[in-house]
Amino acid sequence: MRGILKQPLFWFCLIGCFLFAADSLLFVSRNEIYVSTAVRERLGLLWETQTGTAASSNELDSLVKNWIEEEVLFQEALRLGLDQEDSIVRRRLIQKLNFIAESEPIAAPETAILKDFYSSNLQAYTLPRRYSLRQLYFEAKPGADNALASIDAGENAAGFGESSMLNSSYAYRSALDVNATFGPGFADLLQDFPTNSWQGPLKSSFGYHLLFITDIHEQEATPFRAISDQVLKDYRQYKQATARQSYLDELLLDYEILVEEK
Amino acid sequence: MIKILTTLSALLIMTSCSDGSNSGATENPQTTSTEPRPTELTTPSPGNVSTTTPGFNSDRNAYFGDLHVHTMYSFDAFIFGTTSSPNDAYTFAKGGTLKHPAGFDMKLDVPLDFYGVSDHAFYLGVLREMANPESEISKHEVAEGMSTLGDSADRGSKFSRILQFIRSERANEINDSNIVKSAWQDIIQSANRHNDPGNFTTFVAYEYTTTANDGGNLHRNVIFRDDNVPDLPFSRLDSRNPEDLWQWMDRNRAAGIESLAIPHNSNGSNGNMFMLTDWSGNPLDSAYANQRMRNEPLIEITQVKGTSDTHPALSPNDEWADFEIMPFMVATQLASQPEGSYVREAYLNGIALQEKQGFNPYKFGVIGSSDTHNATYAGDEDDYWSKVGLRDSDGVKRGSVPLEEPRDGGELYADTYYNTWSASGLAGVWAEENTREAIFDAFRRKETFGTSGPRIKARFFAGYDLPQVSDPELTSKAYSGGVAMGSDLLADGNRAPSFIAWVARDPNSAPLQRVQIIKGWVENGEPQEAVYDVACSDGGVVDPVSNRCPDNGANVNLADCRISSNLGAAELKASWQDPDYDATQNAFYYLRAMENPSCRWSTWDAIRAGVEPRSDLAATIQERVWSSPIWITPVQ
Repeated sequence: MRGILKQPLFWFCLIGCFLFAADSLLFVSRNEIYVSTAVRERLGLLWETQTGTAASSNELDSLVKNWIEEEVLFQEALRLGLDQEDSIVRRRLIQKLNFIAESEPIAAPETAILKDFYSSNLQAYTLPRRYSLRQLYFEAKPGADNALASIDAGENAAGFGESSMLNSSYAYRSALDVNATFGPGFADLLQDFPTNSWQGPLKSSFGYHLLFITDIHEQEATPFRAISDQVLKDYRQYKQATARQSYLDELLLDYEILVEEK
Repeated sequence: MIKILTTLSALLIMTSCSDGSNSGATENPQTTSTEPRPTELTTPSPGNVSTTTPGFNSDRNAYFGDLHVHTMYSFDAFIFGTTSSPNDAYTFAKGGTLKHPAGFDMKLDVPLDFYGVSDHAFYLGVLREMANPESEISKHEVAEGMSTLGDSADRGSKFSRILQFIRSERANEINDSNIVKSAWQDIIQSANRHNDPGNFTTFVAYEYTTTANDGGNLHRNVIFRDDNVPDLPFSRLDSRNPEDLWQWMDRNRAAGIESLAIPHNSNGSNGNMFMLTDWSGNPLDSAYANQRMRNEPLIEITQVKGTSDTHPALSPNDEWADFEIMPFMVATQLASQPEGSYVREAYLNGIALQEKQGFNPYKFGVIGSSDTHNATYAGDEDDYWSKVGLRDSDGVKRGSVPLEEPRDGGELYADTYYNTWSASGLAGVWAEENTREAIFDAFRRKETFGTSGPRIKARFFAGYDLPQVSDPELTSKAYSGGVAMGSDLLADGNRAPSFIAWVARDPNSAPLQRVQIIKGWVENGEPQEAVYDVACSDGGVVDPVSNRCPDNGANVNLADCRISSNLGAAELKASWQDPDYDATQNAFYYLRAMENPSCRWSTWDAIRAGVEPRSDLAATIQERVWSSPIWITPVQ
């Protein structure tokens, strides 16, 4: 026993334990601000990016001192509950979580997932009804009527029509394209228009037209294999855009929402 | 000892700290760039003729688009409230609906054929990142309050703060290359995702936003031919000297990266855009001219911030020169000097230099574009949302509708320059098909035109073997017997060349009133200009003395903006020879055509608000189209 009492290591441990206990007691009564080396480094780095020169040790000490003061105020504000019921704090915290949710990486999807995505967004990969047609332009209606009579009587249509900046034929034009080319409402006139013969005249924003519809291409979905590259790009875009919502949906599972009745 | 103990407890805290931050998104959002680049499906074999799309037309089709579009990645657009991404911008151009930051829907009646998102290169994506309170950049002093952008005035003052900062010595501090790179990657990927050969073309692009020492605007958009682009865009932080941009583009070109730059808002350049000296103040030389024209074959002649065709002070004899003049230096209310700021004068100075010194630094074609900062093209007078988000989102803010209460000085309208802005700027090209390659080649050929918004189509040819305008094969014969807009024509002895000026209306806008040819030449060393009407609507005949069409009498009912029915033309075309042609002179000719008058956006705003249109603003305008010129090179 006396031997042990003579050991410096014993005393070292004993004093150590005592100090540790005393320190813990003090720790309870006082709040602690801890300045880690990481904090010092970050402050130094920020200074350097802002001023272009490394902080001297005096500057660094003053930066740390500022940081400590701010941290004390921050801790005190938290202790007083100033973060509660503060709309700016609330908004920033929500924003922070949104940013976290939105920057989650998107894994490469399986083909089956892509095919599902393709099926549930089939509308986006569906081509609308389109027309392929030839047209003859006339500034005034009598010209168009006369030309149609002659064509009906067997004359070659190629010899008719007045020059215009419109093309003599258009291929695969949707209703939207047709209206962009001939003016508003023109596509409606093509709805039940006969095919494979010269018909008209139809009035547009330009004048009068005889039309020969060579083909009506009904609405059709582009097959998955022909468009899988596009589907992948769209899928990634979709996942990125909806990351926030899916994260929120996940969180909502853990919450029960109770609404007070009026 | 205490130190040791505190270190011990600190260690504990530290481990828990690092645990916490691991789950946080402290990394920059570069994660998206781990996505594999789409691989080429087809590798063209040598000698293989490239395939064409169904719309291919060897006589070329007119395609319409906007090459000047800002999204949430532009520092100012973000501050103004724009959260639309490049992806959203392309969705809109194809016919989709976007929400304006003020809450209303934006949609095009007719989708566009091509679109290029062109965000400011400096601080690309940075402001958006500043608004993320988690980011390092949000802790910078200039980022103060960027996550809590408030009303229009708050946004205005924060915009001014960033403008000041970019002009300060410290400008580089916040240009975080990781953020810029990540935004740039998203811009490239969005463009690729929406590029659809034959139907819709996208261009990878950005804006090089530089200014002269007096603050004069020297902005240009850099448009890439394809997705072979540099890792980072060259910005004003690399150099404020546009000649350095051209060097960079030349170096890229040598490495197989093809691009061109399109200057805009020369009107707000205070004489700097078309100076007769270079950046260092030296007189221009042929090396400068070659480099400028190699890199800048086009200019944006019109956009929301006004039209830069010409100015009444420069073209006193042009009755239509006073069109959508935006008299200020960009983002100020300081006057911009007209000399050196307008396209026509630059053409004139260009051919004067050609004559005297044998080079021409100002031989460019024209396009229009919007410069929208809402991601959405804004060229419709009757469906106008201007271009800076919450700053100009309604008639009161734009100064077209009176304030609820007059200002202190008794003025009825907001103190703003937005009332000098226009629902304008559309790019037109003649290209074989709607693909990146065909449209970019048209830019290079300068076979382009600009409109003040409507989809007016303009053809313009010159030559010695042009067909009659009634020829059913007019287009193909004009191509084979002459040259198209944007080209040079070598004079053939003393013979006067013929021109074909041919314009078709926008079927969704007002009919045409007249077609003009604008000529510029040098006589005894002095630049001269003349405006010739060459085709009139409603059976009108050009007066040979005044060179003007008779008034066709078209007007606008200012109570409801109805326009005259049964007046105006669907198409106008004319074959024309210059009555004053002189084969020894350098000259340029370009086409301009006007619609019948219609209401200006400010009048639409007023009518919808139930107030009188503002008397000091034009109540009506004549929407128009400008072609790229054809230059005649005289016989030596």
